[in-house]
Amino acid sequence: MDKQKAREKEVTRRNFLKMMGTLGLVGATATLAGCSKEPAGGGGWLPQQYQVASSWPTQVRGRVPLDPFSPSLTRDDEKCILCGQCVEVCQKVQSVFGYYQLPIKDNIVCVNCGQCALWCPTAAITERDEVQKVIEALEDPDKFVVVQTAPATRVALGEEFGLPAGSWVQGQQVAALKQMGFDRVFDTNFTADLTILEEGTELINRITGKETGRPLPQFTSCSPGWIKFCEYYYPYLIPNLSTCKSPQQMFGALVKTYYAKQNNIDPKNIVSVSIMPCTAKKFEAARPEMNDAGQYWNSEEEIRDVDIVLTTRELARLIKHYGIDLAALPEEEYDPMMGEGSGAGLIFGATGGVMEAAVRTAYFVLTNQPAPEVLFNLTPVRGLEGVKEASLEIPGTGTLRIAVVHGLGNARPVLEAVRRGESPYHFIEFMCCPGGCVSGGGQPRTSLPPSDEVREARIASLYQKDASYKLRESHENKEVIELYETFLDHPISELAYKLLHTKYTDRGDNFVAKKLS
Amino acid sequence: MAYNKFDTPGKGVLIDLSKCVGCGSCSLACKMWNDLKFDDKFPDQGPDAKLSDKNWTAVRFHAVEKDGQPVFRFVKNQCLHCQQPACESACFSRAFQRTESGATIYYPHLCVGCRYCMLACPFNVPKFQWDQTFPLVTKCQMCFGRIEKGEAPACVGVCPTNVMTFGDRDELLALARKTIESDDKYVKHIYGEHEAGGTNWLYISDVPFEQLGFRTDVTTRPIPEYSHEFLKYTPPVIVAWGGLLSGMYIYTKRRNKIAKEEKKDMSV
Ligand code: SF4
Ligand code: SF4
Ligand code: SF4
Ligand code: SF4
Repeated sequence: MDKQKAREKEVTRRNFLKMMGTLGLVGATATLAGCSKEPAGGGGWLPQQYQVASSWPTQVRGRVPLDPFSPSLTRDDEKCILCGQCVEVCQKVQSVFGYYQLPIKDNIVCVNCGQCALWCPTAAITERDEVQKVIEALEDPDKFVVVQTAPATRVALGEEFGLPAGSWVQGQQVAALKQMGFDRVFDTNFTADLTILEEGTELINRITGKETGRPLPQFTSCSPGWIKFCEYYYPYLIPNLSTCKSPQQMFGALVKTYYAKQNNIDPKNIVSVSIMPCTAKKFEAARPEMNDAGQYWNSEEEIRDVDIVLTTRELARLIKHYGIDLAALPEEEYDPMMGEGSGAGLIFGATGGVMEAAVRTAYFVLTNQPAPEVLFNLTPVRGLEGVKEASLEIPGTGTLRIAVVHGLGNARPVLEAVRRGESPYHFIEFMCCPGGCVSGGGQPRTSLPPSDEVREARIASLYQKDASYKLRESHENKEVIELYETFLDHPISELAYKLLHTKYTDRGDNFVAKKLS
Repeated sequence: MAYNKFDTPGKGVLIDLSKCVGCGSCSLACKMWNDLKFDDKFPDQGPDAKLSDKNWTAVRFHAVEKDGQPVFRFVKNQCLHCQQPACESACFSRAFQRTESGATIYYPHLCVGCRYCMLACPFNVPKFQWDQTFPLVTKCQMCFGRIEKGEAPACVGVCPTNVMTFGDRDELLALARKTIESDDKYVKHIYGEHEAGGTNWLYISDVPFEQLGFRTDVTTRPIPEYSHEFLKYTPPVIVAWGGLLSGMYIYTKRRNKIAKEEKKDMSV
């Protein structure tokens, strides 16, 4: 021990001497002697692309600006290596960065999609971590903590626990959530089915002219990154957006009204958590207007429809925090009342899924006949092509023309066509992230940058399960039927409109969009 | 004093503040290239961004008004690399030296820690390492090693929106003039053209400079013209320091020798 101490002392003294040697306290001597050594600085490094003679421009450089108050994303400068991958995806894939004129006005233009987080090789960009908030809620005995899980998390969460891409872990996810102490574990697929009924009715009303001032084509509205993009760059097309809230927000509004009422729970004590593949969902949940439960109860106190949004990656951290081995869990079932979901609701997680789900129900509603087999494997709108289209003959109604777009860069030409009045479609599904929610900004970083292979594996898993389900049409969902019978009455009823529909914000004034040639 | 040591004004950087989106790439690049630490107390980006011994450059956020509308602007600060640097003339130990390339660079081994440079600099640039046992002065070096090789400074090369242009000061001035004259949005002033006798880093902006935290009361007379007045007091100081420092030097050498011998023992 003593020896050790003595040594430490020596080392300290040596460090002292080393400092003395390198420090400029001998400076005056050196000055007088007139010699000079190295100037300060330049001891570090920069990535290869910045090591160029002169100020030649480089292709991949810098990084995206992030709003320090963004509810969705944060960045750790100590990890950033200025690789430029975030700019690459934001500009080339999402067409957000660089699509506005400089100087900026009073907005850091960002749709909160989190694709930059998915591409960032060092995970310098991550979701704003809210795991701790959930832990606090779970540990508070006075809180009734409910959770909903999005369609796409169950085919990706396993990857955080070493399982191959696309592994189906729905039952294990439910089991883990129950083990951690959530009071109720529900399924967003339930409100995905509900969305189909609300949005499908809206579409039919637009086609038949019942919804005045609501033009065709109708745009889907479940993807909050896409919504913000439309609000920014195409505010004059806001009337084309379906007024339906996203399934997450429908769920949040219903949990604190319908579920609370039927089960005699004080909505103020409910903490509504959602598990999403998406970082924009955090932004969506924080929109000021998303407090319809508060309006419903005429509450003075603020009641948010969704209190906390966790990404799939955050859920993995939460599960690990509780020391639960996801892969080893037995499968469990969602809780009743808001836990049933059809195959149609499930495939919301893949690009084209909302459309396929919608036409299954639309066919039934318009013809009163069961949908034909082809609508249960609607290949033209499946797969990873950027823009997909199909047309369907609906007896007694005519031809329904539909299109599916994913990745915001792919949306621009379609939107331009709509603007010029040249779009032949009635209904267009837009998803912000390439591949749809399966490759959302909050999903596990299973390949870097995200690869189509991983996307395909997750998508395949969703379609396989849909094919294996008995319940494959949204309007057959018994819990949804019960919801209408006991609470909402019918699609787009007054109450449904209050709780399940929303308005959009014109963000065109926040910046000057760049003119596109 | 002969300050026109170099025939050419040298290299510089033109910063167009209207193009900055506040991504912070430049301040991070500076940290990476110069191996600087991060400091929670002194952020290098945001509303409280400040130059410090660890932040040789900082991007400060300003919420201001333009044409009655609220706007966000970001200002990248760093040493302006004066053509006739006050820091250099204040420094009797020649730790600051203006070079032919236009960069004013700092040699730590020459610095005696007197901090005259900090008093002299009209832009409050040099920073002292207060938390070090043997502190030095620090500041932006214009990535001297890089510009010697013909590369742009680290911060310039990483900017994704081309806020900064690196080049000969004369050409940058011409470019700046052309830019502000051909576009109404710009304030008709090139900051650094005359401030402190001219600086090698120049700024143009669409928001008046005083609203963005720039010192607009800086004299246009080169600072060294004042500072050799004040420098005449330095000779006695340097003699006193010299005596002390020579003593330290001898001490250091002796201890070094001992240290080396001790190391030998240690490695057994
Ligand atoms: S992708 Fe990540 S590491 Fe690369 S520049 Fe962007 S933030 Fe930095
Ligand atoms: S979240 Fe999306 S829009 Fe925002 S910076 Fe990242 S990639 Fe760009
Ligand atoms: S700005 Fe200050 S530190 Fe930089 S060269 Fe001028 S006087 Fe020296
Ligand atoms: S890198 Fe360019 S855009 Fe980003 S903060 Fe610096 S000057 Fe502004």
